[in-house]
Amino acid sequence: MTDPRPRPRAFRLDDERIAVDGRANVAAQVRIVSAPEAEFPPVAAYATVKRSAAKRSVLSRFAAIAAAGLAGLMSLSVWLWVDRLVRSLFEESTVLGTIALAFAALAGVGILGLGWKEVAAILRQEKIAELQEEIKEAFSADDRARARALAGQLNGLFSERPETAQARREVSEAAASIVDGADLLKLAERALLSPLDARVRGEIASAAKRASMATALTPRAALDVLFVGAQIVYLTRRISQIYGGRPGLFGFVRVLRAVATHLAVTGGIAAGDGVVQQLVGHGLASRISARLGEGVVNGLLTARVGLAAMAACRPSPFLARPQPTLVEVAPSLLRGRKDRQPAGPEEGPSKAADQNGDGGDSDLDRRT
Amino acid sequence: MPLLRDLIFEAEIAARALGDALTGRGLRLGVTGLSRSGKTVFITALINNLLRRGRLPVLEAAAEGRIAGARLEPQPDDSVPRFAFEDHWASLTAPNRAWPESTRRISEVRLAVDFESAKSWTSRRSELTLDIVDYPGEWLLDLLLLDKSYEQWSRETMLATESADRARLAAEWLRLAGGLDPNAAADESVARVAAKGFTEYLKQAKADAYALSTLPPGRFLMPGDLEGSPALTFAPLRLNGEGAPRPGSLGAMMERRFEAYKTHVVKPFFRDHFSRIDRQIVLVDALSALNSGPAALRDLETALTEVLRAFRVGETSALAALFRPRADRILFAATKADHLHHASHDRLENVVRLITERAAQRAKTLGATIDVVAIAAVRSTREAEIRQAGATYDAVIGVPEKGETLDGQTFDGETEVATFPGQLPDNAADVVRGAGLALSEHETGFRFLKFRPPRLAVDGVAPHIRLDRALQFLLGDKLL
Repeated sequence: MTDPRPRPRAFRLDDERIAVDGRANVAAQVRIVSAPEAEFPPVAAYATVKRSAAKRSVLSRFAAIAAAGLAGLMSLSVWLWVDRLVRSLFEESTVLGTIALAFAALAGVGILGLGWKEVAAILRQEKIAELQEEIKEAFSADDRARARALAGQLNGLFSERPETAQARREVSEAAASIVDGADLLKLAERALLSPLDARVRGEIASAAKRASMATALTPRAALDVLFVGAQIVYLTRRISQIYGGRPGLFGFVRVLRAVATHLAVTGGIAAGDGVVQQLVGHGLASRISARLGEGVVNGLLTARVGLAAMAACRPSPFLARPQPTLVEVAPSLLRGRKDRQPAGPEEGPSKAADQNGDGGDSDLDRRT
Repeated sequence: MPLLRDLIFEAEIAARALGDALTGRGLRLGVTGLSRSGKTVFITALINNLLRRGRLPVLEAAAEGRIAGARLEPQPDDSVPRFAFEDHWASLTAPNRAWPESTRRISEVRLAVDFESAKSWTSRRSELTLDIVDYPGEWLLDLLLLDKSYEQWSRETMLATESADRARLAAEWLRLAGGLDPNAAADESVARVAAKGFTEYLKQAKADAYALSTLPPGRFLMPGDLEGSPALTFAPLRLNGEGAPRPGSLGAMMERRFEAYKTHVVKPFFRDHFSRIDRQIVLVDALSALNSGPAALRDLETALTEVLRAFRVGETSALAALFRPRADRILFAATKADHLHHASHDRLENVVRLITERAAQRAKTLGATIDVVAIAAVRSTREAEIRQAGATYDAVIGVPEKGETLDGQTFDGETEVATFPGQLPDNAADVVRGAGLALSEHETGFRFLKFRPPRLAVDGVAPHIRLDRALQFLLGDKLL
């Protein structure tokens, strides 16, 4: 007890010689400042994003250079073509030339806007990926300050979604009270993401079902490959949107790449996904009809890609609950249609998705 | 003979466990803690928060909205008084708000929680029945005696009493004990004087200033309805270690009474309330011991380690649950965490982790899951900063209890006070190094003031710190 540590001390709040919060007392030696009840999200919330040093191989750097060169050439050729078109039109008549110039300007504005949106989308997608990484680290370190900043970022990600108002409030309150880092992240994940998880699961289930059904019904093999491909693209896009991403063209390519990486890492068939069930399901169905068997396989493939997209697009890793398995998202494909039970409360949105599934898909994201 | 007695004892426990299983038992939550560690307040806050749906964001079932409600139910044991939840709550919320009085007798409560399961294959309504027992913390110390003979206990007690830390405190008792001859003829009046002297010494050691913990037998401090009975009229003696004392001597009488105490007081208490615990929370009031000094902390460690040795812990199985229930999750909770700023909570947890290390290690080896967390079942302070002479100190603001002193000031129990209780060291081992008891704040570097309860509405919910985290650890998997 010899080390110089600050001595314990106490001050009565009714003491005239000290300053308490707003009560002004210029001569006071001692000032007492109540802790702010809710200072959230912390000011530094958006500044702490650590760039993960993504090393690219030499090959892909060359690829990037090549792509840049080609893109430059292409835009030059477009420029040349527009320039020539406008010039030749001016030679024909001034009116036509002016109109062409106006159209060109219009196109230019549009392209600029698209480019801007693309950049924003890519940045947002990157931020989501970084967020996931950071949350993982902060969770294992149980770091309260960092967890608070990250919960603030999660909140910010969904700040434009009115239906998350209550969840965001919950997270803010928890962050302002005394909650440990890991608990806070779990709480934020549960409050903000579990309704979205349910929607994503519904999307995956209905996409898988559509894929298997289309495969079983289409007369030509080439058609169902196309259809499944379209389903996968559509599904990945939807999942990314639900989790707060806004994939444009290039952003979407990034998402697909992340999904592909995830699939490659976890392997085509993840252990614990019920490999036996898949084989059995496939076997049974294919004994009834070859097309039906292929339908099951295609459905499972869609569902697996959907799960990979879920893992890649989710702004937080799975902390409170384990990641859903194939059996959970596509029970109908693995168990057969007859014994399909409404599996718990989280199946609700999936059924709703089924009903909408074949018709107005494009409006799904507006549904809350 | 002892072997036969042990076998009968074990059979009794197994029979009770089996009886419980057949009649449909609730989850028995063992709230363990020495006296003044906050058992009653913890149970009251737990019931209050579940009954009135307090904010429990870290408890998953509550956060997901799956808890439909909770209610108090008639308890299973008809012979045990009910936990006076209403009275304790009334005492907290009364105009002259005060912490519940120290518990004088055992009581029990059953709380039923209605919830809906999140598991997809059982999506129907479920119920979790919680059985919680409250008892005087002093009695817990008796568990230390279970495996000891009178001779062993006498020797250990006398040794501890003569140790440097306690010698000053025990001077009177030592003088008295010096005059007792184990070989003298048994005399009831001598026995009574000895027991009284010993009790006085124990009471003094327990006082706030010393805050010692290892003070068996517990009924000497809190006799319940046994006051004055022969089973409580004994004391340790300086035995000269030459076999059993002569029949009819003072030593023989003391030994017989010690054994009677174990048979009639300790064993039934253990058998009925501690042998069948599914989840255990050990409340540790490290702050009082920190106030007193390193010797008090070491004493607390000894007491906790010895007490927890009596419990059945470890991985449980279906068969074990039938005959030999075990606690498979143990939470060590540093209570009264609201007495210091949350930035210091990690350090407080480290201190508690250190003093429960031996107990936790044993439980871990047996397969139980362990966690340490700083909690305040009822939060009585808010946080602030003190800025003084260019430095900033993390402080808490609350109303200290009447008579609490710090820095030469004595508080009246009415005014709000901002206090910086001292800085816990980075390395928890520093606080148990050195000697000393009942030290002043200048010597220890800490003074954790005791605060009065916060102002609460009668129909309100008590604020807390990490009560939800504790419940999640203890009950989370049962509420899935």
